[in-house]
Amino acid sequence: MADQYDKLSWREVRELFRTWREDSERRSKDVVDLWESKLMAKVDQLGSEKYLVLEQVCIAALDCARHDVAEYCIKILKRAFPSSLRVHKYYAMHLEALELYDEALEVLDSIVKRDETNAAPRKRRVAILKAKGRISEAIKELTEYLKKFMSDQEAWHELCDLYLQEQEYSKAAFCMEELILHNPHSHLIYQRYAEIKYSQGGFENMELAKAYFCQAARLNPNNIRALYGLLLATNNIATSPKCPSSKKKDAIKLSEWAANQIEKQYESKVSDEDIKALEGLLGQLQLEV
Amino acid sequence: MAELILDPNIRGWVFLPIVVITFLVGIIRHYVSILLASQKKVELHQVQDSQVMIRSRLLRENGQYIPKMAFISRRHFFNNEETGYFKTQKRAPVSQNPMTDPNMMTDMLKGNVTNVLPMVLIGGWINWMFSGFVTTKVPFPLTLRFKPMLQRGIELATLDAAWVSSASWYFLNVFGLRSIYTLVLGESNAADTSRLLQDQVSGAAMSMPPDPKAAFKSEWEALEIYEHNWALQGVEADLIGSQRSEISENQYT
Repeated sequence: MADQYDKLSWREVRELFRTWREDSERRSKDVVDLWESKLMAKVDQLGSEKYLVLEQVCIAALDCARHDVAEYCIKILKRAFPSSLRVHKYYAMHLEALELYDEALEVLDSIVKRDETNAAPRKRRVAILKAKGRISEAIKELTEYLKKFMSDQEAWHELCDLYLQEQEYSKAAFCMEELILHNPHSHLIYQRYAEIKYSQGGFENMELAKAYFCQAARLNPNNIRALYGLLLATNNIATSPKCPSSKKKDAIKLSEWAANQIEKQYESKVSDEDIKALEGLLGQLQLEV
Repeated sequence: MAELILDPNIRGWVFLPIVVITFLVGIIRHYVSILLASQKKVELHQVQDSQVMIRSRLLRENGQYIPKMAFISRRHFFNNEETGYFKTQKRAPVSQNPMTDPNMMTDMLKGNVTNVLPMVLIGGWINWMFSGFVTTKVPFPLTLRFKPMLQRGIELATLDAAWVSSASWYFLNVFGLRSIYTLVLGESNAADTSRLLQDQVSGAAMSMPPDPKAAFKSEWEALEIYEHNWALQGVEADLIGSQRSEISENQYT
């Protein structure tokens, strides 16, 4: 993995870092390695980009638990921008990485006090609670945050994850609905919503799950997970005692269709033997009509 | 009519200095306005209001993608008579007169200091220093109507309209150096005079509507009359149908 970067000059590394920054790829290990081998000696030649690179390396170093590198970056940033709240946030993140949570919280609180509208330190507080394993408190903190910053998609995603950890499916579903509103053309969000509804159970939810799995499969016909979900949801509907017979027929039709689609997907991608095994497994999932 | 020939000293001491002076003044203005620029302090509840507005707008635009119950519960959150967000949040009406707001006053003053004052001062100085020179000639004939525009400061009835006077040359520079500034200072620099106009236009769109109460009321109305039609009704048939037709199309081709 590291070999492919060996021959790069520091200018090429700078370009590489730039593209990673723009595409917000983390690549933490690569970033730290390249920083130490190539860029560190040339840091003063980077010009105004220097501080952006330092930020990137700082985050990467924290990811890799390279505290010496992170400390070095923060020290330079702090010298350059002694009163910047952004640098303070990195300092707090470093404290977090060292598991000095109380000190980190103190720094974050001081940032919030100085700039109430700064969203980042509030999110870090949630991250600290999550790292400590205090999920219910993290949820509380995050809902407080979302009351103020209601259209923060990232936060809704995180809240959904936290609720799922606590197995609060209906609340997690609410978060996913919010994300659907923000982003009504993403098949992954529909698929996730359907999965939550499926896990929630009950005939009505199963119907919803079916509809949303369908929507996900329609937006991206290659979404195999949605097809499997559709198969399971329709089977569940067909076997449910609450299901009227007219709907039962439709559900069975849909489940057969989903099974066919899955098989087709596999046929185009894997060898014959695997398909035989798959057919057997799908047969087990299939309903006896 | 004999061709007019200009003294090369006019080129060296009038034509080029005006270009250099206007250019340098633009650069200085850019940096001074950076120095004077103050970051606008945003209140927390302003952020909250704007985010609420975004969320309710999204609910109106994409509400058909979530189940009916989910939509109704969200509308309840915004619109309920007793507990709804739009009904309970009381924001102090923003004072309409910007003169009463000291922040606004300093902003206006700074704008004047960096934009209007240099224009007047340098323009006056150039008028006084380089008045009465014919500096250059545009390479195409012009009608008499252009005389007051291109020959400010020279009242000669017989002079051809294609000649440009020093004062007019200054104004041509002020407005014509824009692309040079973008080249030197990058996009969206403060030296650009046409930015003044754009600021006035986009300023209203950038921040929240000045009165959150009115904005809340219109959002409330829009949400009230919104009718929820679930977009996923019949999606199963669509899914199977679309795939079928695709397959049959493939067979025919």
